[in-house]
Amino acid sequence: PQPLAGHQAAELQSKVVPSKQILHSDNMEMEPETMETKSVTDYFSKLHMGSLVYSCTSKRKNK
Amino acid sequence: RMEASCLELALEGERLCKAGDCRAGVSFFEAAVQVGTEDLKTLSAIYSQLGNAYFYLHEYAKALEYHHHDLTLARTIGDLLGEAKASGNLGNTLKVLGNFEEAIVCCQRHLDISRELNDKVGEARALYNLGNVYHSKGKNVASAGTHDPGELPDDVKNALQKAANYYEENLTLVTELGDRAAQGRAFGNLGNTHYLLGNFRSAVLAHEQRLLIAKEFGDHSAERRAYSNLGNAHVFLGEFQTASEYYKKTLQLARQLQDRAVEAQACYSLGNTYTLLQDYEKAIDYHLKHLVIAQELHDRIGEGRACWSLGNAYTALGNHDQAMHFAERHLEISREVGDRSGELTARLNLSDLQMVLGLSYSTNNSMMAESQVADTSWNGTRPRVGRRHSMENMELMKLTPEKVQNWN
Repeated sequence: PQPLAGHQAAELQSKVVPSKQILHSDNMEMEPETMETKSVTDYFSKLHMGSLVYSCTSKRKNK
Repeated sequence: RMEASCLELALEGERLCKAGDCRAGVSFFEAAVQVGTEDLKTLSAIYSQLGNAYFYLHEYAKALEYHHHDLTLARTIGDLLGEAKASGNLGNTLKVLGNFEEAIVCCQRHLDISRELNDKVGEARALYNLGNVYHSKGKNVASAGTHDPGELPDDVKNALQKAANYYEENLTLVTELGDRAAQGRAFGNLGNTHYLLGNFRSAVLAHEQRLLIAKEFGDHSAERRAYSNLGNAHVFLGEFQTASEYYKKTLQLARQLQDRAVEAQACYSLGNTYTLLQDYEKAIDYHLKHLVIAQELHDRIGEGRACWSLGNAYTALGNHDQAMHFAERHLEISREVGDRSGELTARLNLSDLQMVLGLSYSTNNSMMAESQVADTSWNGTRPRVGRRHSMENMELMKLTPEKVQNWN
């Protein structure tokens, strides 16, 4: 039975790897998503800018 | 007074989100919505940011809800740029939720409006988003079957080819615009698309560009991603030594960035690569490292994989006792996590190992050992008759000769 056991072990060894299962585990690393952004500050600063421009021009006009 | 209050709350929400505290930011934005405002453009900005905050918090149903509100509002007030942005964000969210067809419609709307407004930056971003949707769509269908990269059904191939085309178109545009960061993202995802399509040389070229740009920016996370993806591509080119070099760089950066999960993944990849190189001692070393981290992170699935891999590597070295130990642990974990195919694999491995161990025991006149081994490993759930059945299945698990040739 000794050679048979040896044969079994050899056969077992040949069955190990490389297996498809191994390769599927490899994690693919994706780049992050890009989201579109809106901001209340953009709008807010535009409002302020508007009044600032207005006040400057009106001051200039007053002078 | 109430108007100012809504604005103040929203401003605090913006500040918190920018500082990286989306959870607290959400509370302020929701408070701002509660207070309310007559100004629909401000409200639109609040909805949009709430949607994005929920997106980053991975609460996609909420993200969907707010981006949808934003879209409706933008259309109501006739804000075309706002509509484009809301459509893009809605598209990205639908993609994550797996609703690819609607995602495509939204991202296409983002693209159409951007072109109408001659907004090149918006156009480029919409092209990138569309690439991402088609990539996810392809990957989603592909993962339903068991294909290696490169062996794909037609619908998968079509989706991935479209993704590649959108990334290429995006690359042309962002190159014109001189936006290196956007180029980096496009190269990374283009590389991954080529990888899935089985164009491993093109994948390598794209990831090399990604790596170059990551280094320019000192972006260590992107650098680590590039190394990992380069490792994966080289495995499929059969260049295992090169793959191992890239995985080692991934491991080094993962440790530097103190990301245990990524460190575990890198160890696992290295274990697999050394298995392919038939250097089983090194493979065991890395799989053990992976096992330790998987246990630390309470990742039972990862632990099961580690045990399976260790069982294989010990079998290859002829250390059948250790192989048996890990095959038993693999069986136990597969049962626990309800992994049916893992359970079957573990049973087959155990039955094979028992054969070898049983035969060697019997030569030592230890018949008791033989029956003991067999009994404990079956846990009494299956009678001896089951064994022949599993041995027949074993034949089906064998690799086709050409596969073995490819990977040896």
